[in-house]
Amino acid sequence: MTTPAADPSVEVMLESSLQDIGIPPRPAILDRIRSEIKKEEPDFNRLSHIISTDVSLSASLIKTANSPYFGNRNRVRSVREALMILGLDVASRAIAGIILRKIFPDSLHLERFWDASARIARLSGWLAQRVTQNKLRSDDAYTFGLFRDCGIPLLLARFPGYDNVLTEANEETNLSFTAVEETQVPTNHAMVGCMLAQSWWLPEEICLAIRHHHDVSIIELNSTNPPLSSRYMIAAAQFAEYLVQQHSELSHTQEWPKLGAACLRLLNISEAEVENIKSEAIPVLEEED
Amino acid sequence: MLNKRHSHAHPNMHAKRTDPTTGFFERIGCLDLLTKMSLQASLDRPLALLWIDIDRFKQVNESFGHLGGDMVIAQIARRLRERTAGRAEWCRMGGDEFACLVPDCNLGHAQQLALDLLRGIEEPLPFGDLMLRPSASIGIAILETSEDPFSCLERADRAMSTAKHEGGGRIAISGELVAGRLGILLAREELEIENQLHIALESGGLNLHYQPIVGFDGHIEAVEALMRCTADGNIISPAKFIPVAEKTGLIIRLGEWSLLAGANLAHSLDVAGHPTKVAINVSRAQLASLKFSQALYAALLCSNARPELIELELTESLFMDVSDTVQKNLHAALHAGVKLAIDDFGTGYSCLSNLKDLPATKLKLDRAFVIVLPHDRRAFSVIKAMAQLGRELGMTVVAEGIEEQEQLDSLREAGVDAIQGYFHARPMPEETLLQWLQTRRTP
Repeated sequence: MTTPAADPSVEVMLESSLQDIGIPPRPAILDRIRSEIKKEEPDFNRLSHIISTDVSLSASLIKTANSPYFGNRNRVRSVREALMILGLDVASRAIAGIILRKIFPDSLHLERFWDASARIARLSGWLAQRVTQNKLRSDDAYTFGLFRDCGIPLLLARFPGYDNVLTEANEETNLSFTAVEETQVPTNHAMVGCMLAQSWWLPEEICLAIRHHHDVSIIELNSTNPPLSSRYMIAAAQFAEYLVQQHSELSHTQEWPKLGAACLRLLNISEAEVENIKSEAIPVLEEED
Repeated sequence: MLNKRHSHAHPNMHAKRTDPTTGFFERIGCLDLLTKMSLQASLDRPLALLWIDIDRFKQVNESFGHLGGDMVIAQIARRLRERTAGRAEWCRMGGDEFACLVPDCNLGHAQQLALDLLRGIEEPLPFGDLMLRPSASIGIAILETSEDPFSCLERADRAMSTAKHEGGGRIAISGELVAGRLGILLAREELEIENQLHIALESGGLNLHYQPIVGFDGHIEAVEALMRCTADGNIISPAKFIPVAEKTGLIIRLGEWSLLAGANLAHSLDVAGHPTKVAINVSRAQLASLKFSQALYAALLCSNARPELIELELTESLFMDVSDTVQKNLHAALHAGVKLAIDDFGTGYSCLSNLKDLPATKLKLDRAFVIVLPHDRRAFSVIKAMAQLGRELGMTVVAEGIEEQEQLDSLREAGVDAIQGYFHARPMPEETLLQWLQTRRTP
C-alpha cells in the first residue's frame, strides 16, 4: 500500500500514545444494574441493594427523583422508592448520568463543564415538552443533554493540547466543530461520545444523536437513518444551549449561527416564538442544580 | 407516466368523483387532493406517495374479460383500503394502477406500509373455481421541501416502473437524498431485513460471538468476532443481513458498533488475565467511509483496549484499493497500532507481487482450500506453498473451516501456523468464551 503523508499536527498529537487514561470503559455497577433490569421480572429489592452499595450514587439518585424536573409531589426517601417513581429505564439512564460526572479525574477541572451540561439537559427536557408535541420524550432529551458532550472530557484526559483545540473549534464560523477537531486529533468528541454511550448501554437513538450532533446536514434529512427522534434531540439541545448562553451571556460558541436555523425549522419554531420561549425558560434556567 | 397538464385544471371543476369499481377517487380528484395534502405537509409531518401497479394484470383481463378484471380490482381495492384504515387517501390512476397518499408518514413508515400492502395484495384471491395469486410493484416517494407535489407523484410512478422492471413483486424508493442510499432498490425480503436490523440495533439484538483461532502449539492465536443479529425473537443469518446492511449504508454503524464491542472484549480479557487478540471484520464500505479512522480511535479510547490486541480482517483487494480514503484509513489503523490480517486469501484477486508490500501480519487462507483436504493433493501443495510464502514474509498463516482430525493433520504437515474451525470450537458468546479460555489454560 502507498503511505500518504499524515497531517503533521495529528502526528504530534499521536505522540501521546493510546495509554490507559484511568477511566473505566464501563463502570461495573452499570453492568450489574443492566443484567438485573434485563431479566423478565427485575427484582427491585436486589436492584436497590446493588445501587445502595454506592452511598453517593444512592444519594444522587434520590435527589434526582425528588427534583422538580420529574414533577413528583411526594418526596422519595429511599433508593427503592426512587426506582419505583422513576421506572427502571429512566432510573438506569439517570444512574449512568450520575456516574458519568464522577468518573473523570478531578485534575481536569470539569465543574463548569458539567454544570453547563446539566443546565442544557434540564432545559432540553423542558423544551421536549414545550415545543416537540410529544415527538421527543422528555427524559430522552434530558439524557442526551447530559451525554451529548461526554467525549470532551475523555479527549481532554488523553490529549494534553486538546483544550486549545476546543477553543479553536468554538470560534470557528465556517467548518463544523468536529471538522476542526479532526485537523488536530485523530477522532472527534461526537464519535467518542457515541461510543461511550454505546458502551454504557444507552439507547441507539441517543448514541446516533451524539454521533451527529454537529452535523447540520443531518438535522433536516428526510430519512429514517438517523431516526427523527435523534434529530429532535439534537435540535432541542442545540436550542437549549443557545438559550443558556443568551441567559448567562457567557461563552458564546458559533454553533447557533451554524445549526440554529435548521434546528428551529425542524422544531417548527418561528423567530417571534423564540422570544416567548426565552422568557418562559427563565425559571427553568434559574433552577438550582 | 403522469401528464402534468392535469395540474392546471381548476380545482373546483372536478369535485372529488369516485370510481364506482373501487370507491377510490378518480385520477382528476387525486390531483386536487394531492394539492391540498401537500399544503398540510411539513418537514416533521411528511407526505408519502405510493404508486401501486398490479403485475401482469393484462392476463387477467384477457382471460376473464373486463368485467372479470373489474371484480378482481374491486377485491384488491378492498384489501388495500382495509390495510390503511382511514390513514390514507386512495385514488385509481388507471386500469390497474393506484396512488396512495399518506399524510404524516416518513420513509420508514412508508416502507412498512408498502410491505403490508404488498402482503395484502399477494394473499390468494378466489375467483370462480380458480385461486388467483396477484402481485404488485410499488414505488415510494416522499414529498421534499418545496417540491412540486406532481413531480413527487411522478417520482413515485417512476420508482414503481423500476420495481416492475426488476421483476415485480417488489418495492422501490424514489431517489432519496441520503448519502449512500441514493436510489437503492430493495426487494421485499431485504426490506424486511433492513427493518429487523433497525430493531436489533435499537433493542440490543446485536451480539458478537467469538471463534478461537488456535496455534498448533496450543496457544490461542486470536478470537474472531462474528456478528449475530436477533430481532423480535428471530435469528437472522449474517449471510442475509450483511449484504442488506451494505446496500443500505447501515453497515457503517454496525461496523462501528462491532469495533467497540470487540475492543471492549479485548480489554476485559486482558484485565481478566487472558490477553487475547480480537479479530474484527471490516467491510469495503466501512474502510471507504470518511469516518472509519475516527471510529477506530474512538473505540480504542472508550474501551481502553491495547491496540495490539485488535486485529482488523480485510479482504486482499482492499489493500490494493487505490482510493485516497481507503489508503488514509489503512495508514491511520497502522498508526493506531492495531494489527491487520488478510482474509480469504488465495481465491480472489491475488497478486503475489503486491503481497510483499502489504502491511499485514496474518494471512488467512480461504476455506475453499481446506474443504478438499486431505484428499486433494494439489490443494495441499498450494497450501504448503502459501504457508511458506507467508512465513518468509513474517506473517502468521491461518486456515479456516477445519472440522476433522485429518484436515488438521494435513494442515500441520503443510506448515500452517494456526487453525480456526468447529474442530476446536464453534463461535460462542462472551460468557462461554471466558469459560472456554479458563478451562484451556487450567493445567
